[in-house]
Formats: sequence, structure tokens, C-alpha cells
Amino acid sequence: MTSHLTDQEIIKRAQKGDERAFTEIVKRYETLVYSFAFKVCRDSDKASETWQDTFVNVYRKLHQFDGRSKFTTWLYSVVVNSCRMKRRQRKLDQASISIDGPELSHDDAGSDQEGHTAQTVPSWKETPLDNVMDKELRTLLDSAIQKLPYDYRVVFVLRDIEGLSAEETGKILKLSVPAVKSRLRRARVFLRERLNSYMAI
Amino acid sequence: MKKHTMHCPEILDHICEELDTKISSAKCREIKRHLAQCPNCTAYLDSLKKTIKLYKTYPDKKVPQKTRKQLFAVLKLRG
Repeated sequence: MTSHLTDQEIIKRAQKGDERAFTEIVKRYETLVYSFAFKVCRDSDKASETWQDTFVNVYRKLHQFDGRSKFTTWLYSVVVNSCRMKRRQRKLDQASISIDGPELSHDDAGSDQEGHTAQTVPSWKETPLDNVMDKELRTLLDSAIQKLPYDYRVVFVLRDIEGLSAEETGKILKLSVPAVKSRLRRARVFLRERLNSYMAI
Repeated sequence: MKKHTMHCPEILDHICEELDTKISSAKCREIKRHLAQCPNCTAYLDSLKKTIKLYKTYPDKKVPQKTRKQLFAVLKLRG
């Protein structure tokens, strides 16, 4: 039985070639890896391919994990690299576009005579709960995240959806913290803009 | 020396970065002050938070059985 062991113990055993321990690693992390791969790929087939490649790479490279970072940080970097390799094979990296451009802004209406700022940015309605999120909104969300270039999407998913820190995200993507912050800002604004027409009251 | 006052574009730039951090620095206190009297930036910040919240409502996906079986076959492991 391996299920009662800590992650650290399981990893050590798997590094020594214990196949049961490796199977336990798959069991513990399969949903995290698949879910992350799906959020980045937005496609079941691609997520499945990435999931398989990730665990094949974990199997081959687990001896390289030295325990200095969290295991999940290392695991995310294996997923990202597996995904990158697949994209290269499909030659999608060359097609990746940039959304770098002018910094974000909203229409600044300035102030009226009494110094009050007039509201020109529409307020958004309350976000619907998952079980009542309608088809139109879900389609819009899917389309927006698919249009977000990969380099920005992966930052958005790691930071805002998976909840990793800017430092961890930078380590996984081999980016500086300011670069992570800049991509995150742009990704959030890009997605927000695409939902604006639907969500604005 | 005249104190630098942050304007909307600068505020927006920072609030995007500070969405999920505790507001404590002088810069953050200024952002809070600005937000208290700027309906545009407040609406913008609220919409950014809601954007993230919406993406978070996607439920976790389960690994397809076929995919799982293929992996264990490739690595010659017993599931």
C-alpha cells in the first residue's frame, strides 16, 4: 500500500524505480494535470495528448526533481513543456500572435464642474453561478480564452485560475516576475474586453 | 515639491497587478483613495474581478478512461 505515504515519500520511492509509487503519483495528480491541460488547450483531444505526454515525461525525468521547489511547481513546468512540444509539432508557436500594445485605459470622461467624475465605464451584472451560466455566456468565455494568445493564456491560467504566485509562474515559464505581471495584466484586460458587451448592464 | 497624483490609466495599470494582494503600501493606499471617488476605475476593477470569477467557475475535468489506460499500457504499469 502506498496511499498512506506522504508526497515526499512517494516521490523518493518512485525515483528509486518503485512502479507502485509512480502509479500513486499518477492517481494523486491526474486530475490537476488534466484540468490544467484542458484549461490551457481548451480541447479534450489535445488535453488528453498533453496529459499522456506529461506523465511519460514525469516517468522519464522524475530523477531530475531535486525537491528544492514544490512538486506541483515542477509538475506544472513538465505540463507546460509537453504542451510546448506538441505546439511545435503542430507548428502553432509560429502562429502565436502578440497582444502587446498600448497600455490599458478606459474612456476617461474627466470631471464635471463640481469635480465629480462621470461614469463612462459600464457596471457589470452580478456573475451567474455555474449551474445557471447560460450557453451564450459559456460560448463567449470559450471563444475569448481561445483567442487569447497561448503565451498569455498560460500565464492567466497559472496565476488566476490555479492560484500560483508570480514567482512560481515565472519559474515554470522561465520568465521574469515583471514579464509575468505584464502578461497577466494584458490577458485579464483582453478577456474582460471580450465579455464586456455581454456583461455590461 | 508637488505631490504626484495618479490618474486613471496609471491606476488601472496598478489595480490589475494588485487585484489579489493586500493593500498596504503607500501606492496601494493612493489607489484605494482614487477608487473611492472614481466610478470608472471602480467599475473597471469590478469587471476584471468578475472576469476571473467566471473563468474559475469551469468545473475540473476528469481524465477519460481511454487516455488513462493508454498511459498505463505505454509505461507498462498496472493501473
